[in-house]
Amino acid sequence: MDTVSMRKEHNIPGESAVMDKQLADKPLEGIVENLRECDVRESKKVHQYETIGKPFTDNARISARDVNVYYGDKQAIIDASLDIGSNEVLAMIGPSGCGKSTFLRCINRMNDIIPICRVEGSITLDGEDIYGSDMDTVLLRARVGMVFQKPNPFPKSIYENVAYGPRIHGLAHNKAEMDDIVEKSLRRASLFDEVKDQLDKPGTGLSGGQQQRLCIARAIAVSPEVILMDEPCSALDPIATARIEELIDELKEKYTIAIVTHSMQQAARVSQRTAYFHLGKIIEVGDTREIFTTPQHELTENYITGRFG
Amino acid sequence: MNSMNNKKKYDTDTTSRVQASLKKRYAREKRFQLYGRMAVLTGFVFLFLLLADIISKGTPAFTQGFIKVSLTLDPEQLDIQENPTKDDLWKADYSAVIKQGLRDMFPEVDGRKQKKQLYRLISIGAQYNLRDYVIEHPEAIGKSMQIWLMAHSEADSYLKGQVKIDDPEADRRITDNQASWLDQLREQGLTEKRFNTTFFTSGDSREPELAGIKAALFGSFFTLLVTFLLSFPVGVFAAIYLEEFAPRNRLTDLIEININNLAAVPSIVFGLLGLAVFINFFELPRSAPLVGGIVLSLMTLPTIIITSRTSIQSVSPSIREAALGVGASKLQTIFHHVLPVAMPGVLTGAIIGMAQALGESAPLLMIGMVAFIMDVPGGITDPSTVLPIQVYLWADSPERGFMEKTSAAIMVLMGFLIIMNALAIYLRKRFELK
Repeated sequence: MDTVSMRKEHNIPGESAVMDKQLADKPLEGIVENLRECDVRESKKVHQYETIGKPFTDNARISARDVNVYYGDKQAIIDASLDIGSNEVLAMIGPSGCGKSTFLRCINRMNDIIPICRVEGSITLDGEDIYGSDMDTVLLRARVGMVFQKPNPFPKSIYENVAYGPRIHGLAHNKAEMDDIVEKSLRRASLFDEVKDQLDKPGTGLSGGQQQRLCIARAIAVSPEVILMDEPCSALDPIATARIEELIDELKEKYTIAIVTHSMQQAARVSQRTAYFHLGKIIEVGDTREIFTTPQHELTENYITGRFG
Repeated sequence: MNSMNNKKKYDTDTTSRVQASLKKRYAREKRFQLYGRMAVLTGFVFLFLLLADIISKGTPAFTQGFIKVSLTLDPEQLDIQENPTKDDLWKADYSAVIKQGLRDMFPEVDGRKQKKQLYRLISIGAQYNLRDYVIEHPEAIGKSMQIWLMAHSEADSYLKGQVKIDDPEADRRITDNQASWLDQLREQGLTEKRFNTTFFTSGDSREPELAGIKAALFGSFFTLLVTFLLSFPVGVFAAIYLEEFAPRNRLTDLIEININNLAAVPSIVFGLLGLAVFINFFELPRSAPLVGGIVLSLMTLPTIIITSRTSIQSVSPSIREAALGVGASKLQTIFHHVLPVAMPGVLTGAIIGMAQALGESAPLLMIGMVAFIMDVPGGITDPSTVLPIQVYLWADSPERGFMEKTSAAIMVLMGFLIIMNALAIYLRKRFELK
């Protein structure tokens, strides 16, 4: 069965039923909770898919080519190729356990801390190989900041949370400069007005939404080129989510952003391009509007119409 | 309709079944709570009995009876020339003066035996107190004076009311004569109970009233200092290395198993090791806190390593990710973020280890810290003993006066422990605030 036959226009009802049955036999929720449980090679069909749509851009900041990721002997990502362009927001969507977080964490080599994780293929940042032997992870992570799923401020003061990155990298020469960096970062994360009188209070005492904005402020305090966001709003209420989304929209003026999200509305609202992951494979990449209005691939359509995932 | 009826029947069935089982479930819970309360209560009763016993026995040791003696510092009796030098004053015969004073106070006392009994009212140490007084005030020589002198431990015991005078004379260490003299002295207001400073300012002694805890206290302090300085940094750094850097392979597995086993080795084995290695091979001084501290740190290391590893492990990975995410190196992540969060747990482990070390006596017996030490150690290489061994030594002594000293020493030991724990809690609170 070639890829073409799987496309929407060739959709045969029987085919879809087989798919659904396969999904029912392998309930996604089971695979999902633990990434390491997910062995994509078990699903032969996914292996045959080609990425369709427009995975590459002209102004690529980050280019991934034929990336394969393994956890031990299980494969989590198959032949992923994708560009993230300058000053754009790329949303990664897909069912849980499909490898989008894994892919995101490959970009700043966060997977290095998992001993059994192995990454093949090439990912470049401005043409430099991220996995090259001369790439320093400390420098890389200073250039590629990250915001995590759960707000994780340090158990220190708000000021210290933001100042920590600049301090270890020696970005400020004196107290005044540091104050300036902290204030600017907090302002850019639209948190400053709420916390300006309590900078010495612990960051963990803030509300969930404030904590996540604090984490964003912490990430941008080291002036990264790229910001990776791993479901930044999954633990937040709609109002806090709206503020973060607004913030992402403002931040894209200065930064390149890749965001993993489970909310398709959120992907539609904040991103310019969207990549759909399925069981470790990038199924479809394209302009967000196109992905959500005229998906090319059956799996994409099934996902965004809510038939699974 | 039929199906609805079925459904309803099913519902009531469930309800009644659940209700039937509820009673049993609650009863079980109540029973469990009762067992728990009983266990806690029993524990409390025993703890209370133990503490009450120790405190009631130990408290009298903190006071000491004194007897006011009128005496004349007769140079002839003191056996000194005119214009005595300090050296002469050191060698002078003060006990003769005291004995004369006592004889003058009780002129009716006659015969060698009775006189001997009379002299035994005053501690042997009293002559040294008098000596110190005279050296400080040489102008007193030749004059008559009244001076408070330390009572003998048996006399002290009688003054504290610990002797049952109804017992036959042979069964008590105070004779009827001594008892009547002490009663007379008490009536004349010539006896006094004072806070026992000797107990805190001197080392061990053969005489209960002259024995003090200071040497053992300092010995314990120096020993624990050595233990802490060796085992805390080594333990914490070993835990960090094993947890964060060491590869997982057969060698590290072996090390881990050995650390766990080491925690279960009987402490006296460590004493044998200390004797064989540190004293016989390296020829470090015997009976010294240095060797004691090294041996005890071998004993506490596994405890500290294991608890530190557990608390480092339990630091949320999100903190590590956050630090790595802003570009902290691994070492920075550990020292800036992981360790501060793990610190309360690490400190708890350290304090458990130190408390164990404080109460340990078996390995220290092996390296000679059981010696009779009168001098307060001035450093980690001076011969000394430690509190639990002092307790053991006193408990083993036949003199009645050492009984209360034993309990008092236990109280000091527990006080030491409480101070250590309080310090740890204070430090933990400080780390938690950050």
